[in-house]
Amino acid sequence: MSHPVLEAQVDAYLDGELAADDARELEAHLIQCPECARFRDGRIALRAAITAQVPALEAPDALRERVRAALRVAARKRAFRPIAGPVLWRSLALAASLAVVAVGSWRLALQRAAGGALTDQVLASHVRSLMPGHLTDVASSDQHTVKPWFNGKLDFSPPVYDFAGRGFPLIGGRLDYLNGRAVAALVYGRRQHLINVFLWPAVQGPAGGPPAATRQGYHLLRWTTPEYAYWVVSDLGIAELRDFAALLAHGDSAAATPAR
Amino acid sequence: MEPIELERFEALVLPYLDAAYTLARYLVGNEHDAQDVVQDAYLRALKYFDGFRGAGGDDGRAWLLAIVRNTAYTWHRRHRADALATEFDEELHSETVAHVHPETTLLREAAHASLRHAIDGLPREFREVIVLRELEGLSYKEISDVAGVPVGTVMSRLARARKRLQEALRAEQQER
Repeated sequence: MSHPVLEAQVDAYLDGELAADDARELEAHLIQCPECARFRDGRIALRAAITAQVPALEAPDALRERVRAALRVAARKRAFRPIAGPVLWRSLALAASLAVVAVGSWRLALQRAAGGALTDQVLASHVRSLMPGHLTDVASSDQHTVKPWFNGKLDFSPPVYDFAGRGFPLIGGRLDYLNGRAVAALVYGRRQHLINVFLWPAVQGPAGGPPAATRQGYHLLRWTTPEYAYWVVSDLGIAELRDFAALLAHGDSAAATPAR
Repeated sequence: MEPIELERFEALVLPYLDAAYTLARYLVGNEHDAQDVVQDAYLRALKYFDGFRGAGGDDGRAWLLAIVRNTAYTWHRRHRADALATEFDEELHSETVAHVHPETTLLREAAHASLRHAIDGLPREFREVIVLRELEGLSYKEISDVAGVPVGTVMSRLARARKRLQEALRAEQQER
């Protein structure tokens, strides 16, 4: 076995990450190989020096107080804030007035109103993401970097594709908050335009929102697959945005097919 | 949010305040900004708490540290200290950063502080894996979740960071 490989094994061994079988094999090798043994001793010395010279820090008491106070304020604000902002309330009022006219259509009207509020939320998230420093939490054109980044941040693992070959390069990903839950936001580029893709696991019930909408100069598309609810937003022309949505929908169904 | 929910949240993540502060301090480089980043991260965590509850297996530490890390990176982007910094490149940066922090600088530092300075002198992507592994004792898998890179990348970054630190340590010992 080559030395770089052995060195990586020694690191994993000292970090307690090497499987028992491999560890036994490595221990046998270390007895015979002075070079690897020296490497190991150097790493042990480094570890001891770090422990001695670079202790983990303790948060100042003032910080603990500050954080608790800030959390209290934020939690209180969340308690009194209407669920989805003033837009939903206005929509609910509209829905309620429709219900007076026709009791039978009340449920439908409420659903449509809630969907309209979601459209507003998606648009607001898109516009906010365009402000400096808000676009991505993980900036990478590599789908194998962006997808695992969501591990531990979301309760689902979003499908991520790079469409650079089709003129829609992946730019990165971000956590966002929509429809009362944390969602994945993927960012793609098209010339100087940016495209936000929001997705979260599909649930039964009101899908919400029209399939396509134009607000304040932005186009919004939405669809639902068996797995995910998708929203796509951009200032890109509607025809090109539909092309992109088709790529995305195709990518997702291609990935899903073998599983079925 | 109900008070009882806030209590659940605090019970989950406040025990990791020291860990959050340590990571933030090493990622932004000073105590003052580290405190801002930690506070911001806790507020973000509160916002995403609903999303976390669905994810099984995590005791909350890796989840919180991932948010601290992302908040620190956002802080860097906003403050643009390295506004024109190119995207991190494993090969390129592991070779060239040695010129930014030459060993002669390390040698001039007081011996007792040299390792800490050497850690501060590492590229951010190396620094975070060292802090998470050596100071916080996270597993490779947890580090991979926090840093958003595959376990193999965690291992190669750890190896390169350690090589660099080992050189700093050797220089310090020769100085004595």
